[in-house]
Amino acid sequence: MARLSLPTTARLSPSLRVDPANNTVIKTLNRLSRSSLLSLVLDWLDERNQYLCPPLLRRPEAPDEDDEDDFYPPAESLEELRGLYESMQARKGGRREVVDRILEGDWRYGLSLYQLAMADLQYLYDHPGSLKWTAYRIQQLKTPAHEDDAEGPERTDKESLTVPRFHPSTFLQNLQAEVLPDVKAHYNFDRPKDMPLLLLRIFIIDSPYNTDLAVSTRHRGRPGSNGSSKSPTTSFDASRTIYIAFPDASPHIYISKSATGGAASSAGAAGEAKSLRALIVEGIPKALSRPRERYTLKGTNLTTKNISTMLAVKGAGRTNAAGGGWSIYAGTGTSDLKTDSPLQTLLPTPPLSDASNTDTDKPDTDSRKRRRPTSDPTDVEDEKQAKQARLAAQARFGNSAKVDDGKGIERLDVLIEDPFPTDVANFSDEDESEVQDRAALLSRNSSKGRRSTLNLSTMLDNQENVDDNRAGRSGERDRKGWAPQVRVSFHGSHVFAGIRQLVEAGIIDGEKMPGWMTGEEGVTIGAVRNGRIKGFKGSGL
Amino acid sequence: MASDEPQSQELSVAEKLDNEIATLRAQVESLKRDLKLQTATLITSDSTLELLKADSTKKSGIKKPNDSSRLQELLTRADEQNAHKQQCLYRTCASITTFKVRDPDPNAVDGGNVLGLRFEVMSKSRFLRPYYVMLNRPYPNSRFLRVHRHTVPQCIPLSGLAARHLPPPVAKDDDSDTPKRQDLSSFVRALRRELVRYHNRTAVIGDLRSMAGLESKKGKAKELEVPITDISAADAQAKQIRIEWSDGRSGRLVMDDNGDIVKMVVQGEDGQDRETMRQFLGGSLRVEDVVKQLESA
Repeated sequence: MARLSLPTTARLSPSLRVDPANNTVIKTLNRLSRSSLLSLVLDWLDERNQYLCPPLLRRPEAPDEDDEDDFYPPAESLEELRGLYESMQARKGGRREVVDRILEGDWRYGLSLYQLAMADLQYLYDHPGSLKWTAYRIQQLKTPAHEDDAEGPERTDKESLTVPRFHPSTFLQNLQAEVLPDVKAHYNFDRPKDMPLLLLRIFIIDSPYNTDLAVSTRHRGRPGSNGSSKSPTTSFDASRTIYIAFPDASPHIYISKSATGGAASSAGAAGEAKSLRALIVEGIPKALSRPRERYTLKGTNLTTKNISTMLAVKGAGRTNAAGGGWSIYAGTGTSDLKTDSPLQTLLPTPPLSDASNTDTDKPDTDSRKRRRPTSDPTDVEDEKQAKQARLAAQARFGNSAKVDDGKGIERLDVLIEDPFPTDVANFSDEDESEVQDRAALLSRNSSKGRRSTLNLSTMLDNQENVDDNRAGRSGERDRKGWAPQVRVSFHGSHVFAGIRQLVEAGIIDGEKMPGWMTGEEGVTIGAVRNGRIKGFKGSGL
Repeated sequence: MASDEPQSQELSVAEKLDNEIATLRAQVESLKRDLKLQTATLITSDSTLELLKADSTKKSGIKKPNDSSRLQELLTRADEQNAHKQQCLYRTCASITTFKVRDPDPNAVDGGNVLGLRFEVMSKSRFLRPYYVMLNRPYPNSRFLRVHRHTVPQCIPLSGLAARHLPPPVAKDDDSDTPKRQDLSSFVRALRRELVRYHNRTAVIGDLRSMAGLESKKGKAKELEVPITDISAADAQAKQIRIEWSDGRSGRLVMDDNGDIVKMVVQGEDGQDRETMRQFLGGSLRVEDVVKQLESA
C-alpha cells in the first residue's frame, strides 16, 4: 500500500482491506448460510483470485513465529487451506465456526473489498427477493441544433433509431467522473449464471482517499495522519450499496432500492443514503452518454422484487409489449414455433378446444365426467360455467400469469380516475367491489407511506403525458360529474396469477374485467382513465 | 431383507407400467398427428374435392339427412383447409400479412378493433416465429393509428420508426408543425427492413463462428496459425463483432446496418496489431467476404 494518502478522484481498489472487526464485515458474512459461505471461501482460495483476496499463510522463512495462543494457526499453503475448508464442507456444523475462522484466522488482517462484494452478491443470489428493483428506460436526447436550444429543457429524441450501447469499463470511468470527489466507491461487475444481465455493485464510502485510510478504522487514532483523526470513523452501511442491472440487448436498466434500508439506520442516515442513490442515478445517464449522443433515464412505473419479471417485461425478448392475452403472440416454445410456421399444413386448433388439450390433465377429468351420465342438471350447468370461466381466463391471460411461472409482482397500485357510474346496471359494479374487498383482505399491512408514491407518480404522469392531453381527454372528467378517487392495491406473491385464479373460479367475470387487471400494461403503479391505464404503457414505446 | 425385496420388485413393476403407459401415450399422440396430417392432405387434394362435390350434387335429394350433413361437414372442412393453405401461401411469399384482432379488454378503444401485422423472417433457411405488431386507433375523431402491442425485440428501434412514420395527430393548440401524415406502408417497409437486416447480421456472425470452428463440438476446425477463441456480437443490434484470439489479442469489427465493414481494430499486447487485422479482413468490404476469407484460410 502507498504510504501517502492524497485525496484523489480515482475509484477504490478492489484489493483494499477492511478490518474484520468492522460491523459491516461481520454482518455481511453472518447473513450467508454455511454452505454458501464455504463455497465462497473456496472461490476466494482459487488460484486466480489470489491477487485480490490472499489469505494469511505461514511464511516459509520464519517457521518459528508460532504463537501458542493462536487458535487458528496459519496454514502452510493454499492447498492445505483448501483441503481444510473442503473438509468443513463435508461435515456438519454451524455457520459461526466458519465465520470465526475467516475473521480471526485466515483473513485476520482484513477482507478485501472484492471479497465483501462477492459475499454480498452471494447473498443476493441466495435471496433473489431481497432487493426491490425499479426499471428505467434509456432514451436518447435531442442534440440541440442551435445554441439557444442548449439552454432550454432537454427533449427526448423520439425519432432516434439508435439502440443505446453499453460498454462496461467506459461506463465505469465516466460514472466515477460524475460522482463527487469526496465520495469513493468500489465497483464490482458480475454476471449471474442463469439470467441474461450484467450486475454492477456500487459500494460507497464517504472518504476523499482511495487508500487504506478510506476503509480502516485502526489508523484513525494515529496522531498526525493527515488530520483524519478528527473526522468520524467511516460509516459502513448496507444501505450504501447500490445494484444496477444491465439486461442484455435491452435499452433498460434496473436500479435496486434496498428493501431493508431505512429500518435499522436513523432517519438522517436513510436520507443520506437516498441522496447518495440520487447522485448515482443522476450520474448514470451522463456516464452512458458520449459526445453528440446524450441519454436520459425515464421511469417506467415498474417496481418489483422479482428480477425475472423484470426481464420478461423490460428485457430483450418478445414479451415486453405483449402481456396478458397478447402473450399468445409472443410464445417462444418449440410447439409455438411449429404451429406458427407458414409451412404448417395442419389447421390451427383454437385454444381450449377439445383437440388442443388432450395432453393436459384437467380436460381428462372433464371428459371422464362427461361420459358419466349426469342426471343432475345443476351439475351440468356448473361444469359448463367452469369451462366458460377457464376459457375466459385463457382468453384474457393467454399463457401468462400462471402460478408457477415465477414471474409474479408483489404489489399493484392503481388509482381510478373514472367518474362514478350513474348507470349502475351497465357497469360491472359488483365485480369491482368484490375485487376491492379481496384486495383489502389480501393486504395485511396497508402502509400509508406507499400511497404517496402513487400520488407522486400520477402527478408526474400528468406532467409527462402530453399524448393524453393531445387526445383530448383532459377535460372529460369535469364534464361527467362526480369522480371519487378510488385507489386499489393488490398484494400477494404473484398478483396477476391470483386474479387469473379468481377468474377461473368464476369470482371475477373474465369478459368484463378491465385490461389492467391482466398485467398486460406492464406497470405496477398507474392511474386508470376510461378504464385503461393512462399513457399507453402497454405498447412499450 | 426379505420384506425389502418384494417391495422393490413392486416398485419396478409400477415403474415399468408407468413407462409403458408413457410410451403408449406418446405413440397415440404421434398417430393422432399422423392422422391429422393425412386428413389434411387428402381433403385438400383436387380428386377428393371432386368426389365430394359429385357426391353432394348426385345424392342431394335421395340420401338420408344424416349422411348429407356429414358430407356438408367434410365440405366446410375442405373449405377451411383451403383457406388456411392460401393464407400460408401468402405468408410464405409476401412476408408481411395483416389480420384482424379483437382486443379482449372491454374498455378497449375503437370498439376493440385491432389491426395485426405479421412479419415473416427467414434465418438459416428456416422460418422463424413471426413478429407481430398490433395497431389500433386511440385518437378520437381521427383515423390515425398507434402501436398497441408488439413482439418486436428491443434491438429493433420500433419506437423511432413509429415516431417517424406513424406520428400522433397534431393537437389544435400547437399549430407550429406542418400537418403530419401517417404512412403505414412505409412504416411496415422500414420495420421489415430492420428486422431482416438484424437477422442477416446475426446470421453472418453465426457463419463466422462456424467458419472459425467455434460452433461444432469437435474436429472440422480449420487449422489457423493462432486459433480464434471467441466471436460474438458485442452490442444489442449485432453491429459490432468481438473477436478473440487464443494468444490474448482481441479485435472489434464494426459494420453498418447493411453488413458493410466500417472499420476494424485489433489490439495486441503492444498496441494496435495492424498485421492481424489485414490478415483477418483480407481486403474484404463486406462481412460475408470475411466469412469466405476465413473459409479459404
